Amino acid sequence: MEDVEIINLWKSYDKKLAESLLLNRRNTEDITKIKIRSFLASMRPMKIFNILAGIVWVVFVDTLIIKLFPYANFFFLFSAIIHVLLTKLAIGIYLYQLILIYLVDISEPVLATQDKLARLRSSTLWVARFLFAQLPLWTTFYWNKSMLDNGNAFLYTIQIIVTLFFTLMAVWLFRNTRYENRDKKWFRLIFNGIEWQPLIKSMELLSQVDEYKIEK
Amino acid sequence: MNPSDKPDLFIAVIQANKGIIYKVANSYCNNAANRKDLVQEITVQLWKSFNNYTDQYKYSTWIYRIALNTAISFYRKENRRKEVPNDLSGSILDMVDTNNTGELEEKIGLLQQFISGLKELDRALMLLYLEEKSQKEIAEIIGISETNVATKVNRIKKLLKQKFSTVKT
Repeated sequence: MEDVEIINLWKSYDKKLAESLLLNRRNTEDITKIKIRSFLASMRPMKIFNILAGIVWVVFVDTLIIKLFPYANFFFLFSAIIHVLLTKLAIGIYLYQLILIYLVDISEPVLATQDKLARLRSSTLWVARFLFAQLPLWTTFYWNKSMLDNGNAFLYTIQIIVTLFFTLMAVWLFRNTRYENRDKKWFRLIFNGIEWQPLIKSMELLSQVDEYKIEK
Repeated sequence: MNPSDKPDLFIAVIQANKGIIYKVANSYCNNAANRKDLVQEITVQLWKSFNNYTDQYKYSTWIYRIALNTAISFYRKENRRKEVPNDLSGSILDMVDTNNTGELEEKIGLLQQFISGLKELDRALMLLYLEEKSQKEIAEIIGISETNVATKVNRIKKLLKQKFSTVKT
């Protein structure tokens, strides 16, 4: 089929629509009467909640670190400091998302809007990376001097294996949880489920947006 | 403009451009129930942005931008439904009974099927090409250069022709 034939086919579809498509005036009027929330309004409360909950947690852990600093053992302090640092970075990501939500204007050109929306959603990946980075801390915070002094070779070996395994996993996941790996099997397995669907779709869209930016 | 005239003007604009809304929704949603929701969502977003409309662009350009942006992001269906109040359950656009048989309808159905199979941004470009929008207007709606429009449209046209020829043989 030639270009002209395809265009003519579309014109006949257009003609058919002009004859048979009716606007429901009453329902359209109803829309003009309601107070409309903004395009991304539903995303905002959750982000604000995450930021506030994060701040409360960070203040609590920071206070704990300061108060216990002279008495607590080194391993607990080390684990808590790294944990609170990563949580602060995650709060930073949520703040970035909140700013992007305010910047999105749906009447802007398609590519610019979709770029912002896709970046907004896929930045959630950074929160996942910070979560993964915390993995080894859950195997170190309970260490103490007495445990090290009184332990035996078997316990040391088990502890070293577990911590090493979690550290390697954390490093690997942190480095590889990237948009470029979205098609890998392990990635799809971790980010499988309805709650991750917008993220996966956003990443696919981001690759289309990048393609469209290239002039060729 | 008097604020009380705004709803009337809005309805007149939607009435004049209802085909755009329907065609965009139809290209991004195969399921009838979801399509109804999408048409409603697009109308809600148009009303929400109506205050900020400036005559820098034509109404059709403004509607295409909002309709396409809304349709492309529509996969967040569950969240989106929460944004639309429950009292808005009726449809915005209705199709009166038409005769849906014959070769022409079959070909239109095939064309729509091909469009639905394209990636989201390619689909937007294809729609605008079929609507015979100028390269300048397509560039304004999509937000890429006119040269880039020409290149991308040629690529999609080739793909479309290829698909149609496969069906014919």
